[in-house]
Amino acid sequence: MSSWYEPIEPVNAVAVSTRIRLARNIKGIPFPSKMTLEQFDKVNNLVRDAMAQSDLPIAKRLKYISMENVPEIERFAMVERHIISKNFASNYQNRAIIISDDERICIMLGEEDHIRIQVLLEGLQFEKAYEIAETIDSILCNALDIAYDNRIGFLTECPTNLGTGLRASAMLHLPMLEDRGELRSLTESISKLGLTVRGMYGEGTKALASLYQISNQVTLGISEKNAIDNLKIITNQLIDREKEYRKQLNTLKIEDRCMRSYGILKNARILTSAELLSRASDILLGVSLGVVKCGIWPMKLIVEGQPYMLMKKVGEMPPDSRDIERATMIRNLL
Amino acid sequence: MLCEKCGVNNATTHIRSIINGEVCEKHLCSSCAVSEGYIDAKNNSLAQMLSNMFGDVIVPDEKKVMRCECCGSSYNDIAKSGKCGCSECYGTFYEQLLPYFKRLHGSVQHIGKKPEKILIETDFAPQIDELRGYLKKLVDEEDYEQAAIVRDKIKSLEEDESK
Repeated sequence: MSSWYEPIEPVNAVAVSTRIRLARNIKGIPFPSKMTLEQFDKVNNLVRDAMAQSDLPIAKRLKYISMENVPEIERFAMVERHIISKNFASNYQNRAIIISDDERICIMLGEEDHIRIQVLLEGLQFEKAYEIAETIDSILCNALDIAYDNRIGFLTECPTNLGTGLRASAMLHLPMLEDRGELRSLTESISKLGLTVRGMYGEGTKALASLYQISNQVTLGISEKNAIDNLKIITNQLIDREKEYRKQLNTLKIEDRCMRSYGILKNARILTSAELLSRASDILLGVSLGVVKCGIWPMKLIVEGQPYMLMKKVGEMPPDSRDIERATMIRNLL
Repeated sequence: MLCEKCGVNNATTHIRSIINGEVCEKHLCSSCAVSEGYIDAKNNSLAQMLSNMFGDVIVPDEKKVMRCECCGSSYNDIAKSGKCGCSECYGTFYEQLLPYFKRLHGSVQHIGKKPEKILIETDFAPQIDELRGYLKKLVDEEDYEQAAIVRDKIKSLEEDESK
């Protein structure tokens, strides 16, 4: 079954994916940083049983997996597919996930909170993603004693998530805003609105692949709908501006840039992860402008070219050998 | 302002402690703050930044310090890590944590989703309405003794609801 990065329908040219996360905890059990291994098991069993007892079709689609049965390479490949957090992949003892076949729904048990419901969809689909997450949340709220206070809402280990426990985010491809050097000032203005923007790949000032994640920060004193609406308004403004700049491009120049990158990915014999990200970003731009015809959604190249995703296919190996295997795999995909 | 310990560097760390009601202020440079144990030099993580947002008090733990009955955390533990130990901590240290919530979120009142189960448990509105009608009837009938009991009941339900 295809994942969020292999959509069947064409997706929004700028918004690559949408994510909703809800943080929940069970009353009477300490938060994960203070839990014993037995208490991790207890949380796993309570949530697994709650989901198993639900008659809703969505609950039937999910399966329970103990993280101890997932090999290390696959655990970190899941991080690269954005299904679980890095912290969860490293601290996997007595942890579990409840996940759908297409991996668009994943409930992490024993991450920073007892329960982290995540829904990850391609393109811009805040409402649909929230609706799914909320349905799962209601199953759990009805079946379990979820920690909640009428004054301060859902209680979470870190007070930054207190209230709704909702973190909504969109992954945006913003090469033109980046080229024009506008992202820094935009990021500063956006942070004043209770939202944050950060690069998805790479560290420092320039995000590799020009992929950025915008998300809400405030969770107390704001309803889920308002938090999502605010985020959506700003996201749409970023998308519109990016699209406006794309319209102003010199077609021949941009076609040249995208086709060069396509040529490199189709012919390279050695390909580092950083080069893949930058070339695939050009192809993503080219596909959205209709100047590159590529039978594959470029996000698939980006995700499947990541180190652990690659090693999952070809086995564990040092970076130099990976670069050769990466080039081969990308050539075959294109 | 110069660091009050070394007197050389600018004071960049300002510590305000309240011990037994007495306010004590210290103004130190970053290296003296580390040597005095107010800042962990190795720990520049987000948790550290968050814990700095608590804006106070690194008072050594005492035997009499208040601890959460469920997980044993003290307010200091929470302030140091920026994280609560369990959901009961929020009730135990509610008053102390409120200013921190305000700084983080700009609000201290949840207005989002309420679990259905809690809605049923805490929705006293129909009961309060009914009692108000009864109270009016009692006042009209000049049964003030009974009216006082009903009035107190309404008050306690309203308090429960706002918790």
